[in-house]
Amino acid sequence: MSESKFETISSLVDNYRVTDHESEQAIDDMLKDEHLSTTWRHYQLIGDVIRDEISPGLQLDLSTKIADALQGEPTILAPNRVVDKVSPNTFKAKIIQLVKPFGQLAIAASAAGLMIVGVQQNTADNNEIITPNQIVQTKPLAGFANPVSFNYQQPVKTQKQAVHDQRIEQQRRFQALLSDHQQQVKLSAAKINENSNTKLESDNSLGNQSDKKIIN
Amino acid sequence: MKFLLFKSPLIHCFLIFSFSVFTSFSALSATAESDNDSNIAKLSFERLSSALRELNFSTSFVVVKNNQAEPYHWLHGIAKSTTSNNQVELEILALLNGPRRDILRIDNTVSYIEPEYAPYSITSSHISGPIPAVFGQDISVLENNYHFVSVGRSRVLGRIAQLIRIVPKGTHRFGYWVWLDQQSGLLLKLAIITRKGQLLEQTQFTHLEITDDLSEHLKQLQLTDLPKVIDITAKQEETELAWQVSWLPDGFKQIKSNRHRINTSKQAVEFMLFNDGLVDVSVYVNPSKDKQRVIEFAYDGATLVLNQIINNVEVSVVGKIPAATAKKIANSVRFIRDVEHLN
Repeated sequence: MSESKFETISSLVDNYRVTDHESEQAIDDMLKDEHLSTTWRHYQLIGDVIRDEISPGLQLDLSTKIADALQGEPTILAPNRVVDKVSPNTFKAKIIQLVKPFGQLAIAASAAGLMIVGVQQNTADNNEIITPNQIVQTKPLAGFANPVSFNYQQPVKTQKQAVHDQRIEQQRRFQALLSDHQQQVKLSAAKINENSNTKLESDNSLGNQSDKKIIN
Repeated sequence: MKFLLFKSPLIHCFLIFSFSVFTSFSALSATAESDNDSNIAKLSFERLSSALRELNFSTSFVVVKNNQAEPYHWLHGIAKSTTSNNQVELEILALLNGPRRDILRIDNTVSYIEPEYAPYSITSSHISGPIPAVFGQDISVLENNYHFVSVGRSRVLGRIAQLIRIVPKGTHRFGYWVWLDQQSGLLLKLAIITRKGQLLEQTQFTHLEITDDLSEHLKQLQLTDLPKVIDITAKQEETELAWQVSWLPDGFKQIKSNRHRINTSKQAVEFMLFNDGLVDVSVYVNPSKDKQRVIEFAYDGATLVLNQIINNVEVSVVGKIPAATAKKIANSVRFIRDVEHLN
């Protein structure tokens, strides 16, 4: 195999100083010759490594895993343990993308795919802990639904209803605590009202940070 | 036919450079390499902090917890002050679903617009929202309680992202995985993970735009009069309570203590807030008409709410911590009877 063919392939990979005729010839050769096409793949791989675009061995993109796991799940949203059904081969074919996809739709779809995540079932803990199955709703619907109907009084509460009432009560308690916690955290960020001092501080820190940026 | 691969014809220079870097790295010992990982992580956080303070960006993200998703719009920019020569930071964070919840910031004034309260402002250098405030500050305050590990790269939001793990020392906290944009240094994704590797909550950015000019919304914000700054310095003062928390994970400090009523239930409570630089933990204590109630808890994303009644005293713990930690905190509440007598 002539050295010049390798050089042409290298130039093609770089998209550098190749005439149309030459590139056509080289591509034809590559299609016919397995050795040449392997060379082409190797050059691409080297390029990928240098540009740091190689797909990482560690698959950290949780969305695909979750999406895969969801595929195998029934539609019931009972928060049981999520079955770890990761596709065995997570290697992706390296495809040359001429157009960078930044479609909002694709992104929105992947965000929707991430939505369902199991509730923590703390099995390691002692039995005395009752793990509630429901989930605290951060934003309750306008007002709370009254659990007991107002014009009809049942003489004795059934067991089921008592449990239901307890659940509602528990939800309400958790919700109140959660929003109070968030409120207290917000207020705790408040500084003592000495504007001149705080201004100075922030100016200094800005200066430092721009220094750091130059280093980076 | 076009192959979009090497943008630069200087590949040969790159080759030589990268090989020399490679050989120098491989000469290092294993410990030096892990040190290097944590250094990369620290540098990345410094970069994140300055990017969050200095860039004009407009971004959207979704906080995913349990079976719900909260979409936010987040804008930040730097403008010239109308009154002095200084630069001012402008910031808007808006929840896009449900009743309006907007947070506005002009430099050190932060305004909260929420359905529960009349709009108010406080004096603070950062907004308190779903993105941990420490990301815009000096992350090294976390070094006593967390390790930073640079793990590798992956693709997030169509960009190349550096993944850094904030790994807690000990078993009493959750870990944070942070994906940072290689180009701008900004945040692309954030996940809160248990020690066993279970995902509890994640924040996925869905749009990111970095501009040279200030966006229209921020220009308008600069001309807006923010709500009046409320004086909460009196309330922030430490109230001496009849009890104390005798156990907390290392590194948690008391931020404040007070007596107040919970807004929705009108329940009067005694309250303490603790913080380790990243995580806030609230402890509530109040008398109850019930004698006993076993421990109950639920997670909202990574935020745990835990509640129990022992001998007519209700103790609640709220925060992004494991249940075992919260339980230990709740059980460590001790009463100091002498204080009650003094009062």
